[in-house]
Amino acid sequence: MNEYKFSDIEIGLEESFEVKIDASKMDKFLDISNDINPLHVDSNYAKKKGFPGRVVYGLLTSSFYSTLVGVHLPGKHCILQGIDIQFSKPVYIDDILKISGKVSYINEAYKQIEVKAVITNQENKKVSKATIKVGVMDE
Amino acid sequence: MTRKELFDGVQDIFRDIFDEDDMVIEDKTSSDDIEDWDSLNHINLVSAIEKEFEIRFALGELMALKDVGAMIDLMIEKLK
Repeated sequence: MNEYKFSDIEIGLEESFEVKIDASKMDKFLDISNDINPLHVDSNYAKKKGFPGRVVYGLLTSSFYSTLVGVHLPGKHCILQGIDIQFSKPVYIDDILKISGKVSYINEAYKQIEVKAVITNQENKKVSKATIKVGVMDE
Repeated sequence: MTRKELFDGVQDIFRDIFDEDDMVIEDKTSSDDIEDWDSLNHINLVSAIEKEFEIRFALGELMALKDVGAMIDLMIEKLK
């Protein structure tokens, strides 16, 4: 886990990591959320609707925005204060996602940073983007 | 930029942050007058103003502000 202090952070600082979306993550998210929409749980239904298979929950993939700031940028001293997400492409089981973030603004008075983040798939296509507001606690 | 133009810009930011298209603020408006003006939305306001007007505030300056009018006056000083 990274432990960036507020004084370490500058505009343009970047971090990223990769994750594979396997079926067990879908099962666990279903258990937590109880979102039984057939697009996510029934592959035949998803195929009938024109998708190659079950569509991964958007908020499952977005949970990695939490990981981005809570573990990587800034990491330990993070307090997630707000997030604005836009989805652009579906994600499927076994996709490999890269979650990347870059510091775009620093509020010196209140020790808050904004991270512009994107998630891309194994074909380097953007599947979502987010603006994340993060408080950085004193160490 | 005139004080009126500055004020109108700040009012647009308030409308965006508090999600009220017809919100009207005055010089004497303070956090006591807007129910959702909590600590997080206060940071959101300051951040939006800093970015829109390309100015930066120090914590001490912000702590001394008592209402919107005082914020506008501080912005005028910084934009000189």
